[in-house]
Amino acid sequence: MRWNGKTLLWALALVGFILLPQLITVKYYLHLSILALCWVIAAQGQNLIQGYTGYVSIVQAGFMGIGAYSTALMGLHYDLPVWLTILLAPCVTAVFAVLTGYPSLRVKGHYFAVVTLAFNLVIFIVLMNWHDLTQGEAGITGIPKPGGKDSWLNWRDRGTYYYFVLSIAILMTGLAALIVRSRIGQTLIAIRQNEDLVGAIGIAAWKYKLFAFVTSAMYAGLAGAIYAHYQSFINPEIFGVAQSLDAILAVIIGGSGTIAGPVIGAFFVVFLPEYLRFADSFRLILYGLVLVLATIFMPRGIVGVAGDLWAKVKGKPS
Amino acid sequence: MTTAILQVEKLCKSFGGVHAVRDLTFHVAPGEILGLIGPNGSGKSTTVNALAGVFPPTSGEILLAGGHIQTLPEYERVAMGLSRTFQTASIFPEFTVREQLRLGCNVTLKSHPLSSVFGIGRHPGEDEAVESRINDILELTGLAEVAEDKVGTITAAQQRFLMIATTLASEPKIVLLDEPAAGLVSHERKTLSNLIRAIRDTGVSVLVIEHHMALIMEVCDRIVVLNFGSKIAEGTPEEIRNDKAVIDAYLGEAV
Repeated sequence: MRWNGKTLLWALALVGFILLPQLITVKYYLHLSILALCWVIAAQGQNLIQGYTGYVSIVQAGFMGIGAYSTALMGLHYDLPVWLTILLAPCVTAVFAVLTGYPSLRVKGHYFAVVTLAFNLVIFIVLMNWHDLTQGEAGITGIPKPGGKDSWLNWRDRGTYYYFVLSIAILMTGLAALIVRSRIGQTLIAIRQNEDLVGAIGIAAWKYKLFAFVTSAMYAGLAGAIYAHYQSFINPEIFGVAQSLDAILAVIIGGSGTIAGPVIGAFFVVFLPEYLRFADSFRLILYGLVLVLATIFMPRGIVGVAGDLWAKVKGKPS
Repeated sequence: MTTAILQVEKLCKSFGGVHAVRDLTFHVAPGEILGLIGPNGSGKSTTVNALAGVFPPTSGEILLAGGHIQTLPEYERVAMGLSRTFQTASIFPEFTVREQLRLGCNVTLKSHPLSSVFGIGRHPGEDEAVESRINDILELTGLAEVAEDKVGTITAAQQRFLMIATTLASEPKIVLLDEPAAGLVSHERKTLSNLIRAIRDTGVSVLVIEHHMALIMEVCDRIVVLNFGSKIAEGTPEEIRNDKAVIDAYLGEAV
C-alpha cells in the first residue's frame, strides 16, 4: 500500500517535471530549473557518500569544476564532439576521486572530510591561477552546445536543454536507486551504522567507501559538464567550497539517505536564495538562518517530515 | 596428528612498553570448544583482537587450518573461515535481523557485488541458498520469531544471540566468542551454552573468552588460562579447577 503511494508520488513528480516548462511563465525560472536539475545530479552523488555511507565529503563543487573544465578544454583543444566530452568528464573526475579517496578512506573518522575540503581548495586555486590552461578568473567562453550546428533540435532553446538535463537527472536518480537497493547499497548503509562490524563480517569497507566516493564524484563531474555546456561559460567562482556546502545542505534539507531527498534539496538550494532577494543585503544572513533552523528542526529533511506527516494521516506510527 | 583449526605460536603483542601478550602458544582442534579465561588485564581481549586481525601481532604466528593468517586484514580472515563477536553489542540497528544476517552472508557469495546493481551476471540459485541458510541460522539461534524486526528494537539478549548468528552467516571454520554471556540472565546463559554446543555439532570449532566460570566449566572441552599476558595453565575443566596456579591467580577458593 505504502509502496503504491510512493510510486504514485514519483509518477506525479515525473509528470510535473515534464509539464514544468509549459507552466512557467517567467523565462528566468526555467533557467533556474535547469540549474536545479544539474544540482539534482550532483546532490544524488553527494547523497551516496554523505547520506548512505555516512562520510561527509566537502568537494562536490570542486568535482563539478573538474567535470566542467574537462569537457570544455577537451572540446576546445582536441575538437572532440560534445557528447563524447560530456561522457569523458566523469571519467576524468573519477581519476581525481581515486587519488584523493584512496589515502583518506583507508582510515575512519574525520580525515576524509578534512582531505576533501583541502582538495576543493586546491582545485579552486589551480583553476584560478593556472592561466595557460584555465584562463583564471576570466574563465572559458564559447563552450559549444550539444548537437552541433545542423542538429534537428534547437539546443539554444532553453526548453530543449531543460528536457535534456531532465532526462539525465532521471537516469542518474534511477541509477542511484538501483545502487542503493543492491548489495553494494546495503553495505554502504551498513558502513554508516557500524563500520567495525562491516569489517568483522568479512567485508573490505574501504573498497565500498571508495566506490561510493568515486561514484559520487562522477555524478558531480557529469553535473559540471552539463552545466558548462548549458551556460557556455565557466569560471572558478561557482566551484568553490561554499558551493560544496550547498551540495551538503541539499542532501540534509531534502532528506539524507533517501532517493527523493536530493531532488527536493537541489531545488531548495537553487530557488531559496532567489526568493530571499527581497531582503536585499540581509539575504545571506536570512539564508543562513533558514538553513540552521531547518537542520535543527528537521534533521531528517523534508522527506523525513513528509513521511512523518503521512504516517500521522494514515494513523500509523512512523 | 590432525591439523588444528587454529594454531597460535609464540604470539606476542606489546603496546609501547606494555607486554599485553607474551609467548602465547595454544591450538583449537577441529570440533573443539576451547575456553580462554583469565583475570581482567590478563590479555584475553588483546589475544582475540590479534587473532581476528584488528591489529597485527608484534611477533609470533597464527595459522588457520594450516595457513598463515597473521599478516592478513580482518576481512580476509573472515573469508578464510575465522569469525568473531564483540564484547559489547555490535549490530546494524536500522536493519532487520534478516538483513543483518544477509549482509553476513555476503562474504560467501561468488557473484560480483556489481552484478546486484543491474541484476545481470549472477550465479543461479545463490540467492535461494542464502535465504535457506539464513532460515537455518535463525532456527538454530532461536531468532526466527524476530527475523523481520529491526535489530535496534529487539532485546539486548536477542542482540547478543544475533551477534553469534551473524558470525555463522560467513560459513566459518571457527568462531571467536568474546564474552558472549555478558549481560545474560541465568536461563539465557543456559540457552547460550546449548547454542555453543549446537554450533560445535555443526562442525564449527569455538573459542570462548568468558568471565562467567560456570558457563566455561560446563561447555568447554579444554581451557587455557592467562595471567599477565602469559599462559599459566591448560587442560580440561576438571584439571583447571584443581590447578594450584589458577586458584591463586584467578579462581580463589575452588568453585
